[in-house]
Amino acid sequence: MLHLLKIDLKKLTSYRTFWVICGLYFLTLGFTTASGMEILKWIASKGAEFGTSININRIPLYHFPDIWQNLIWISGLFKLILSVMVVISITNEYQYRTVRQNIIDGMSRWEFILSKILTNVLLSLMSVGMILLISIITGLIYTPEIEWTYFFTGMEFFLAYFLEVFAFLSYALMLGIFIQRSGLTIVLLMLSHMIEAIIKLNLFRESLNDSIGWMKQFFPLESITNLVPLPFARYAFQEIQDHVSLIAVGIAVVWTFLFNYFAYQKLKRSDI
Amino acid sequence: MMETVLSIHKLTKNFGKLCAVNNLDLEVKRGQVFGMLGPNGSGKTTTLGMLMGVVNPTSGSFSWFGEQPTNLTRKKIGAVLEHPIFYPYLSGQKNLELNALIKGANPNNIPKVLELVELASRKDDKYKTYSLGMKQRLAIASALVSDPIILILDEPTNGLDPMGIAEIREIIRKIATDGKTIILASHLLDEVQKVCTHFAVLRRGELMHCGPVDEVGKGEEIVEVQAYHDDLSILLKEFIGSASIKKENGIFQVMMKDNFHSQDLNRFLFDKGIVVTHLATKKKTLEKQFLEILADASSTALK
Repeated sequence: MLHLLKIDLKKLTSYRTFWVICGLYFLTLGFTTASGMEILKWIASKGAEFGTSININRIPLYHFPDIWQNLIWISGLFKLILSVMVVISITNEYQYRTVRQNIIDGMSRWEFILSKILTNVLLSLMSVGMILLISIITGLIYTPEIEWTYFFTGMEFFLAYFLEVFAFLSYALMLGIFIQRSGLTIVLLMLSHMIEAIIKLNLFRESLNDSIGWMKQFFPLESITNLVPLPFARYAFQEIQDHVSLIAVGIAVVWTFLFNYFAYQKLKRSDI
Repeated sequence: MMETVLSIHKLTKNFGKLCAVNNLDLEVKRGQVFGMLGPNGSGKTTTLGMLMGVVNPTSGSFSWFGEQPTNLTRKKIGAVLEHPIFYPYLSGQKNLELNALIKGANPNNIPKVLELVELASRKDDKYKTYSLGMKQRLAIASALVSDPIILILDEPTNGLDPMGIAEIREIIRKIATDGKTIILASHLLDEVQKVCTHFAVLRRGELMHCGPVDEVGKGEEIVEVQAYHDDLSILLKEFIGSASIKKENGIFQVMMKDNFHSQDLNRFLFDKGIVVTHLATKKKTLEKQFLEILADASSTALK
């Protein structure tokens, strides 16, 4: 397993695009999640100029345990950047035909896919690690009184976040293997949410809230989004889902498995 | 009896309606330098693709070293199919390191193979900066990096200038003297005749001929004659051993009947008082044999 990961990393670590995209991803991810309080302060100061005062201390954005779900939800938005890297990595193999040479050199098709999946796992774990670190640091800075009994409440969102990133990267990998052209794959990847929304809109046009509305959660991209629900409505005194739904996890796990399975089947059956 | 390294049994590949390889049977034994000949599109690369696991066969089977093929058997084979394939943004050295990693080969072999193909001085340059000849040579280096028992080369001199062709040929000769088994697909007949011990001819996915290169040119003999004599053609026709006569670039080519050889012709002309300025026995070239095999095949196909 480690051997396969080593092979894929060897391809990537001398590739400038890899460093540029990953650098961009981790920098924007880090800056955005770490600077939320500063942004709030800025909004407050602007508000003060216009005579409305916002007491930012009443918005516990960075307080334990709120911080976990808040930062993780924001981080989820950035996974698209990372998935572009995954698309480039796999479509390059087709464009340069190196997938063919890898097989000729003695990799099995399963090993080839597995090496890509392992890189996806690594990238997902790195995202989780980074957000965990930023959450702990900023949480310690901004939480006025830390109550350790609540500290671990909601940490299961990190598991959900891992699954969210990994599922989306698996989806990107599968698209790349089916389409094989980087530009087209990236465009489709970006439009995926919209395409799925259009399909749902047409299927459930007249029955948004009735008997078959519950089926929406089974759609692949929606299942990924449902892992970490939007938390911010709670600061407008609304009920939010502040836990990870096991059904959502189950559906996302099945889709993740299917993405990788379809990718493997496609590679197995094609002449390369 | 020599050990069989590759045995192909009724291997078939269809691309839709097109039959690229049809019921192919072939055996390659250890130590052979095996040439696969055939016009473009005759199924050479498809066959090699199936042997190397990148093309899924429609039916039939093959075995390497008497075993069912897996990705592990492929690690013991060094192969370059069609064009050299490498990561353009990696240096030659890094590309070979990656090949070695996949094949489970010792990376200490890399300097040795780079030396062999004379790329050591450019090893740290990116692959995309290489000339075509250098790319082909790097491909041979990558095939050799795991010190394989078998080497498969598909059109290794494609697109090279005469000097590049000579270099590659020299490398193949060097490798062959190491006792490695080599399978060489080519449409350059001259190349196959110069380096191969055995050859097979494919046409539209079917095996037309298979045998040793030595046997090419056995049978009829052609003798080239040149002499300063006006009636040479008439005299040559009088010679009882000549089957037919052709004139090419001022030189007569006499096709000999069975059991007649150049010395008989020489004696005949000498007795007539003619001293020749040029006399040479010519072996039939592989090219000629190849064209004959293909011509035979088309005529039987027409029937």
